[in-house]
Amino acid sequence: MNVAALLEKRRDQWSELEQICDALEMRGKANHSAAANHRGAAGVARFSNLYRSACADLALADAYQLPPATVTYLHRLVARAHNQLYRSNRFDPAGWIEMIFYDAPQQIFADPCVRVASIVFFGLFALSMYLGCNEELFPGFAESMIGTETIEQMEEMYEQPLSGSLDHYVPMAGFYIMHNTGIGLRCFAFGILIVPCLFILAYNAITLGTVFGYMARPDAVGSDNFFQFVTAHGPFELTAIALSAAAGLRLGVGFFFTGGLGRIESLRQSALRAVPVMAASAVLFTLAAFTEGFLSPSPAPYIIKAAWAILSSGLISFYFVVLGFPRDAFLLRSVSDDDAGDFADAT
Amino acid sequence: MTSTAPLDTTIAVVTPENIAFEYQLAGLFRRLPAYLIDLLVRWAVIILLVVGLFMLGALIDIASLGPFAIAGMFVTYFAISWFYGTFMETYYNGRTVGKWACGIRVIDIEGRPINGRRAFIRNLLRIADMAPMASAGMLSEDISPVFIIPTGMFGILTMILTRRMQRLGDLAAGTMVIVDERSWRLPVAKVDDPRVPALASFVPADYRISRSMARTLAVYAERRHYLTPARRREVARHLAVPLIDRFEFRSDIDPDLLMYALYYKTFLADASAELPDLGALSGYSPLKRDMNRLRNEEPSTQPS
Repeated sequence: MNVAALLEKRRDQWSELEQICDALEMRGKANHSAAANHRGAAGVARFSNLYRSACADLALADAYQLPPATVTYLHRLVARAHNQLYRSNRFDPAGWIEMIFYDAPQQIFADPCVRVASIVFFGLFALSMYLGCNEELFPGFAESMIGTETIEQMEEMYEQPLSGSLDHYVPMAGFYIMHNTGIGLRCFAFGILIVPCLFILAYNAITLGTVFGYMARPDAVGSDNFFQFVTAHGPFELTAIALSAAAGLRLGVGFFFTGGLGRIESLRQSALRAVPVMAASAVLFTLAAFTEGFLSPSPAPYIIKAAWAILSSGLISFYFVVLGFPRDAFLLRSVSDDDAGDFADAT
Repeated sequence: MTSTAPLDTTIAVVTPENIAFEYQLAGLFRRLPAYLIDLLVRWAVIILLVVGLFMLGALIDIASLGPFAIAGMFVTYFAISWFYGTFMETYYNGRTVGKWACGIRVIDIEGRPINGRRAFIRNLLRIADMAPMASAGMLSEDISPVFIIPTGMFGILTMILTRRMQRLGDLAAGTMVIVDERSWRLPVAKVDDPRVPALASFVPADYRISRSMARTLAVYAERRHYLTPARRREVARHLAVPLIDRFEFRSDIDPDLLMYALYYKTFLADASAELPDLGALSGYSPLKRDMNRLRNEEPSTQPS
């Protein structure tokens, strides 16, 4: 059998497929300056025809005993065309809304990692707040935990009553988005290694708790201003930190509690489940940043800030409990959610 | 992994068309330059944006727009440093600038392009892959401990240990990085030596070439350009000597020529075609039984 003649016969179609692939790779659609049958719907039809025949050629290559280099060429060609046919799909905002208001609360309510992270974070927070506040029983706790310098800086900072202008608010809101969400994302990413995630979580809990405790002492300088400042954004921000750690822990724990899957497969499933929780956490971080930037440093009366704190706590509870309460529809969905969802995404 | 699987860095993917095709995986030494390029690009973009915003703020009115410019800077810095990879990979079909420059691409382990969620996971987890951090201060106490260097040990270890060369982020997202060759010549070794068709015509018609033999011949023919004549003979001898015995050829046949002739017969010759014009070579016979005849008689005698 003459392979050269056979290749000659097929080569035209292959190079035509390559041309279309070139055009698709460059602009993401069939080339406008190309031949008539490469444009628009005709181009798509031609492309899929050529792709199918290249696939068939690849399947027959072994039977034809084509030289290995030709088989390699066919592999590349088919892979290239395959990548153009099944392109990456974009983010769609409708999917985001469903993720934030449907997937995330269901996942948060059902996930033991959220409980563990909340207990670790708020437990350590309350404990170090108590220890930091109680000067007689635990002398020097606050100083050794956060350092004398930091305490002095803080007292200096909150000595003046809160006041500010737009010049101050806007950049600070931007800074909080960058800084706090960054901490949250780092906590999430290190969750796959578990220990660093717990470390960041515990570190933040103890630092924040000690600061709160220190400021709650009757003799602390500027404690009124401090609580004026932190009340409004506290609920959003603290919940967001605990949530991002929970999403991270879900990643790392997925490696150990596989639920009958292979470890890698289990890790992938838990990662896909962790993303909505992380997204919810990022939304909370952003809300906290705007509150912290605009409302917290403003000279608004305390009652408004406290009202905002109560409102935001209520919203978070509604989100976690009411939206998150397990529903039958979700249970049915969750069985085939990942596979079916992914497949729908890709096609 | 079964023992019959090839010991190389290709991975087979079965498409919805039920075709299995192979991707070549990208290893550490292709991915590291891509990462460094991305790092450069990221910082260049951030610096350009910051300078641009400052110029803009100075041009218009620093008092009223300044705070917004600063807030914008913070948010831009945050977005670019965390979501550059996610954005690029989602919108440019699994490629960032660095990956494009190094000819690699991220795909799903099922061979599909990655979606936003997977790109998000694998790019966020990069900092876990970069762990643990080392600082220059560990080496010498004179250096301040500020200079923190990511060692990337977790990423490198998991890349070495997994079959698809995935780092932690890839494992969690279910993705892999493959080599994305942009162009590939269609290679068919050409035969320009007139002795080859002549010799091929003496190969017995009942010799059926086996599949592995065909493969070997093709590899040999594609590679022989890179070998010296002495090396070609040395490589070809192992297969050629048993064949010379079997075909009853003279023992002084060049093994390289015999392999090449078999390649020609297998892949290039048309079975029904006429015997090519042998020119000056006509009358030559490689067969052992013709040896004496050739020596005694005139060389113009036609072989039977």
